[in-house]
Amino acid sequence: MPEQPFPPEGAIAGAGPGGAMDLTASEAGTLERHPRDPGADGSPAPPPGPDAPDPAGGRPRSLWSDAWRDLRRNPVFVVSSLIILFLVLISLWPSAIAPGNPLACDLAKAQQGSGPGHPFGYDGQGCDVYTRTVYGARTSVAVGVLATLGVAVLGSVLGALAGFFGGPWDAVLSRVTDIFFAIPVVLGGLVLLSVVTSTSVWPVIGFIVLLGWPQISRIARGAVITAQQHDYVQAARALGASSPRVLLRHIAPNAVAPVIVVSTIALGTYIALEATLSYLGVGLKPPSVSWGIDISAASPYVRNAPHALLWPSGALAVTVLAFIMLGDAVRDALDPKLR
Amino acid sequence: MLLDVRDLHVEFRTRDGVARAVNGVSFGVDAGETLAVLGESGSGKSVTAQAVMGILDTPPGRVTGGEVLFQGRDLLKLKEEERRRVRGAGMAMVFQDALSSLNPVLTVGDQLGEMFTVHRGMSRKDARAKAVELMDQVRIPAARERVRQYPHQFSGGMRQRVMIAMAIALEPALIIADEPTTALDVTVQAQVMDLLAELRREYRMGLVLITHDLGVVADVADRIAVMYAGRVVESAPVDDIYKAPAHPYTRGLLDSVPRLDLKGRELHAIRGLPPSLTDVPRGCAFHPRCPMARDVCRTDVPAPHEVSATRAAACHFWKECLNG
Amino acid sequence: MGRYVLRRLVQMVPVFAGATLLIFLMVNVMGDPVAGLCGDRQCDPATAARLRAEFGLDRPVWQQYLTYMGNVFTGDFGTAFNGQKVTELMATAFPVTLRLTIVAVLIEVVVGVTLGVVTGLRRGRPVDTGVLLLTLVVISVPTFVTGLLLQLLLGVEWGWIRPSVSSAAPFGELLLPGLVLASVSLAYVTRLTRTSIAENRRSDYVRTAVAKGLPRRRVVTRHLLRNSLIPVVTFIGADIGFLMGGAIVTERIFNIHGVGFQLYQGILRQNTQTVVGFVTVLVLVFLLCNLVVDLLYAVLDPRIRYA
Repeated sequence: MPEQPFPPEGAIAGAGPGGAMDLTASEAGTLERHPRDPGADGSPAPPPGPDAPDPAGGRPRSLWSDAWRDLRRNPVFVVSSLIILFLVLISLWPSAIAPGNPLACDLAKAQQGSGPGHPFGYDGQGCDVYTRTVYGARTSVAVGVLATLGVAVLGSVLGALAGFFGGPWDAVLSRVTDIFFAIPVVLGGLVLLSVVTSTSVWPVIGFIVLLGWPQISRIARGAVITAQQHDYVQAARALGASSPRVLLRHIAPNAVAPVIVVSTIALGTYIALEATLSYLGVGLKPPSVSWGIDISAASPYVRNAPHALLWPSGALAVTVLAFIMLGDAVRDALDPKLR
Repeated sequence: MLLDVRDLHVEFRTRDGVARAVNGVSFGVDAGETLAVLGESGSGKSVTAQAVMGILDTPPGRVTGGEVLFQGRDLLKLKEEERRRVRGAGMAMVFQDALSSLNPVLTVGDQLGEMFTVHRGMSRKDARAKAVELMDQVRIPAARERVRQYPHQFSGGMRQRVMIAMAIALEPALIIADEPTTALDVTVQAQVMDLLAELRREYRMGLVLITHDLGVVADVADRIAVMYAGRVVESAPVDDIYKAPAHPYTRGLLDSVPRLDLKGRELHAIRGLPPSLTDVPRGCAFHPRCPMARDVCRTDVPAPHEVSATRAAACHFWKECLNG
Repeated sequence: MGRYVLRRLVQMVPVFAGATLLIFLMVNVMGDPVAGLCGDRQCDPATAARLRAEFGLDRPVWQQYLTYMGNVFTGDFGTAFNGQKVTELMATAFPVTLRLTIVAVLIEVVVGVTLGVVTGLRRGRPVDTGVLLLTLVVISVPTFVTGLLLQLLLGVEWGWIRPSVSSAAPFGELLLPGLVLASVSLAYVTRLTRTSIAENRRSDYVRTAVAKGLPRRRVVTRHLLRNSLIPVVTFIGADIGFLMGGAIVTERIFNIHGVGFQLYQGILRQNTQTVVGFVTVLVLVFLLCNLVVDLLYAVLDPRIRYA
């Protein structure tokens, strides 16, 4: 009986800003390398390997090095990595390519088109759209990275413990994740963040971690449960290895890959979520510079100054796309079954 | 001759290079005759069967040469639509794993009846009646009730009977059975094999039996073709082969079968492993494992030598082998 | 089957209680429900206290929750602070969102499955790569951006449609909003169908179907599609619940007065009863959709039997 016949990530997907659904068609535990079996005896038999390597150490290493070899040759990976590298650089040093001040606005220039030194024109407040678009990257990258770290750490620790110890722990955690999945993300954001007055990024990050961890915990739990059934884990147990040792040395390496894949894709969706919440007026608030705020501010006068809406929208789309493409490429590399 | 395969070549393009799964295979089957194709996994026997049926996965597979003459027509030259009409009606196939080879979400009756609605244009009702009839014929008890059931509700042996019923539905001239009993319990194997042989006699069908099991072959086959690394290395009437093999590989296979009359003696095994098809050894593909190998075996591919009018062996030293 | 449904319904109870309690706490603890009543000015303490007593807000939160849930089960979702009954708001809002959801699901099924089958059968070809990239773009561009851009293009620039939806919200006007609402799920349905088709295309039973001499069309529709759509149907079923709750952004862009609109207003005005009432119904819809999906699974795949 399938407890969850559809992938839980649909929760975030359906709620608006996109999730990591496709990925879980293969969900966790698919990362052992099976020699492909085309079902005919005409397939070349894999050459008999040398002596079997130490299972715990050798297995992930070959998986990672294989994946890395595939990734370097994948144009999707190369392009998205370059975009992300660029985004990270301008987040750290935005003034390198945008000398202006994003908060210096001149109402007299409101809604003007592009001019020398101001390639993207001015928005409704007379702020330079180019400068604000560049500075917006910093917010998005910061929210995306920090929220993902928080979600990944919290989610995988809770999920791994539940999967490892099972029993009542597991039952409680499963019910709690059910509860979180039942609340639409955007709705939860509206309710929780509408009363926050802080203009920093922390409430938004906190909120994403609060509602995002169940997604990762499910993946981690599944991966741990699958890994536990491997013979060498059973063997390690039988040989008297302690629980923490089994978990860290034998199970964790197998569970890390799916968590990384889901997290990378989720990073993109978190950036989209921050922008959506800011668009709705409950995410970041001025004077924070965020693409979501700018898009929201530009939408009422979109007829007169479409550029003020299009540039931040484009930047947001490219950023989210880059992270999702990266996650997609990593997933393909780590999951040989989907080839 | 009912089926005449001549110099068939099949390749697979894989990530590790081109695998030559079938390298010039030739064999023939007469109406009413049973040919056993014998070989280890990786020898190309299933790929040969799929190429003859026209159900090769393309890509990665590709027929790169040869002829498949069926009732005088070269199937490889037919248009896909003409070829489709041959499948099921002219020649049919029984697969190894009936559980995965039957559609899990359709009833057995639907899957049997489909043969009649599609090929014969029957109504669904008539097709259903034919399905019950077929199930009776392969001796599935309570056919009238079970026709509404799904494949997973049948036992392994009964499922394989359904597969066989599906194959004989349109009374084809030829049946290709790819390891039809491998997935079954030993006790059931014999029953299914007997059923297949009986139906073959009844309808005077040709039967190509693909197997790695020498025990099955001895009872039902008229002729044997032994395959190794994509080639037929020996083909002969079944009695001749058992009496005196003309290829060291055939000899190795025979010696590795446990026999009651040789109880207590050490069982022979062929040393080494079958070659990877992306990297078949030069010369005779069997030479790295052959106890009789000499220098010529490492350089020259042995052509099939005519041992007798009905018998051929692809070995440089077939005479020596024949004389033990 | 009956026992399974019963067990699932029992399992739903704690999830339902937990989710509604969570929202209840969020709304009541994080905000000050009374603050919304006096408009933009601060309430004077005497009025605030009177209001608190009137709405039972001076009692502990858990008591409030229990009272509220007790009322809900008698069909009383309370009164919005402007005096309108919450059930009346629901009666006007839910049909609108339901229509919007129906449009969205239809688009998902028709477009998504078609694209998925086409690409799944042509894996690795240019069509496949193109559609795959397109789905990535659709997934990446947040719904509110897609919505604003389409509204700008089709509604304002080209004038094909009315940029905002009238209060009656007939099906015809909901086509574009429905597409926007469906967009992300549409991309997922495409990818899910594609993966599923590509996987099953190599399966043994498809090979059998070919060996039986069935025409390609029949192999695809009857044998391949039937099996491949099982995960897709379950995804779409579960998605219905999410679409209804996720319509906040779409309804805001196109000014549709549905559930999302009411929720947005309720949250901004700190209208506790409205928010909790709507969310309660949404959670219920979501859980029921999941149950239906599970049961549907058994209908679609005869191998699954619930005991």
